[in-house]
Amino acid sequence: MTERPVDEYLEAEVQRLLTERAEVAEQGITVIRRQHTLLLCGEVESVQRRDEILRLVAEQFPGLSVQSDIGVTRTHPPTEAEDLL
Amino acid sequence: MIRVAAVGDVHLDADVVGRFRPALERVPDHADVLLLAGDLTRHGTVSEAWCVAKEFGDLAVPVIAVLGNHDYHCNEVPAVVQVLESAGIAVLEGTGVVVETTGGKLGVAGVKGFGGGFAGRCATEFGEPEMKAFVHTTRESADRLAAALDALDSPVRVALSHYAPVPDTLVGEPPEIYPFLGSYLLGQAIDSVPTTLAIHGHAHAGTERGTTPGGVRVRNVAHPVIKHAYSVYHLHGEST
Repeated sequence: MTERPVDEYLEAEVQRLLTERAEVAEQGITVIRRQHTLLLCGEVESVQRRDEILRLVAEQFPGLSVQSDIGVTRTHPPTEAEDLL
Repeated sequence: MIRVAAVGDVHLDADVVGRFRPALERVPDHADVLLLAGDLTRHGTVSEAWCVAKEFGDLAVPVIAVLGNHDYHCNEVPAVVQVLESAGIAVLEGTGVVVETTGGKLGVAGVKGFGGGFAGRCATEFGEPEMKAFVHTTRESADRLAAALDALDSPVRVALSHYAPVPDTLVGEPPEIYPFLGSYLLGQAIDSVPTTLAIHGHAHAGTERGTTPGGVRVRNVAHPVIKHAYSVYHLHGEST
């Protein structure tokens, strides 16, 4: 279990990890420090990508309390157009 | 009326193939052309480009794209472009195309663009060579966009980029990272030529709607911003 505090260095490490590790490569995940927890927010293109983010963070920071609010972006057609008059 | 569908930042890999296709099959019902605003792949590999080709190829409307920063990651840009173009997807970089639609001619000019920030709070070509190279890259990209827009033989012009030309459509992103999300130089290029609409992506937490200082509508079509497979914009008449 990590004894590391949830501080801004940890926040920066997690954010860089999610972008720079090829298996994730996400720049669109927001990392928010909340009490003793890191909250991960944003949207990804598949359930597998969300699962991989959580797996990687758990692997790299064992014992870290993480909350996830990562959604999978919907892909339905638009219901209306915007008229640019 | 010309109907333009657009989406960016779809970040395709094998795990996403098929998710967009049902909505894409219906694009011809909604639009005359589909624009892709960069970050078509996750890492810019040839195998991911084939995923894009499979998902976005063989549609009944022209598909016109620019690349994004993700598409450059693995340094395979020429091969990625070749795969996309083999699937009939036009890839613009300092270039333009004119499409004939039932509503008239539509010209699209595109660049990936780059960062640097916005007026009064932007990076400058000064100091270390790395800094000069950063801003120089953006300036050259903006110059190519202006030239490509100007060369379009069409009364209706659309500017397509990955990076943002205005800060309006970045609202929602941390202000500290605006310089990595776009540049006013792209906006200035768009305003230098009569342009009807500017489309970009890149800013996943941004806002869909904005305008350039010259009054051109700007739309951020990053997939997490528009939250559906693509947005559709109806354009009318000649550029003002």
